[in-house]
Amino acid sequence: MNWPRHTFDTLERGLAPLVARHPRMALPAASGLGALRNRLSHRWPSPEQIQTLFPQLAPRAAARVAWKIGALEARNRLLVEAIRRQGLEPVRRLMRPASEAFAALRPPLILGTFHVGAVQALGAAIERLPGPVLVLRLGALYSPSPPVEIVSTEGDDQRRALAFQRALAHLAGGGFVVLALDGSPGPGLRVPCLGRTLELARGPFALARLTGAPLVPLVARWRNSEVEAEVGAAIVGMEEGALAASAARWLEGYLMAAPEEIGLGLVRALLTPPLAAR
Amino acid sequence: MKTGAQIKDAVLDLLRSRAPLAGNGALPDDLRLGAGGLGLDSIAMVELLLDCERRFGISATGLLEGPVITVGRLIAHVRDAVPQ
Repeated sequence: MNWPRHTFDTLERGLAPLVARHPRMALPAASGLGALRNRLSHRWPSPEQIQTLFPQLAPRAAARVAWKIGALEARNRLLVEAIRRQGLEPVRRLMRPASEAFAALRPPLILGTFHVGAVQALGAAIERLPGPVLVLRLGALYSPSPPVEIVSTEGDDQRRALAFQRALAHLAGGGFVVLALDGSPGPGLRVPCLGRTLELARGPFALARLTGAPLVPLVARWRNSEVEAEVGAAIVGMEEGALAASAARWLEGYLMAAPEEIGLGLVRALLTPPLAAR
Repeated sequence: MKTGAQIKDAVLDLLRSRAPLAGNGALPDDLRLGAGGLGLDSIAMVELLLDCERRFGISATGLLEGPVITVGRLIAHVRDAVPQ
């Protein structure tokens, strides 16, 4: 079917100026557009891709999950646009109060994120942590305020090594380090997840090994037009492969309970075998 | 107290323990530690510098903030920092 891609793009762009002042109108509208876009295109992701990852789902249920992921992606695109325009302020207003588990987090601690749910909203969640926060990420969408600092992992091995060394020093100084477990450049560890192979970044697990700091999974999910942060149980150990396998098991359990939270990038990563495995 | 030659040999030993590509032959001074040289990834590079800090009781991770780290630069840094 020849579906009007540019029309959807234009409509989404039209919502961007509204999200800061009228989030309860703009975000559901984006979700509706994203879901409709997915229903018409049967792509990004397709119901078949969802069924490959979640074979327990019947075809109609898989299609519904695909629509919801289309909605999630559109909502997240809108959020990114809002952050680009106005920084984190619009996101702060969307955050639900911190859960007990989140409020109980204490440094030194490594918080490992996955590209699921409202991942871009995590910037507003980590501002609430009780201690200095160092974020390692590819580039920066916004300029953070203390106690949050962002170090980019862009660049060559030596640049990434410098970022890694800063994270080690930050943990040694009693801080929080936040970084993505999936979808990062640099060395990786392959682990089973949802019946496929997923490559996780090695850095977070090497940090845990070298410092002994626990690693806690951290994700954000949409609740209507609000966002809540969710943390997993601490993963502790000295062997990087075992730590990575534990993190992947946590992710698998999270997504089995809520498949509509999986991000499109993660769908693609799971369905595309790592280079050496092809 | 160590001589410059002893320091060089000790640094090369640490380097070889982290870099399988290093082999047992001579390593040119201008050989990079990372991609295009010994192939150390970011984590291995930091661990090598931490090895040097522990082994010689010096600070070495500051090298990451300067120009590209080569075999020669690392040896020179350690040699300059260790009392001889």
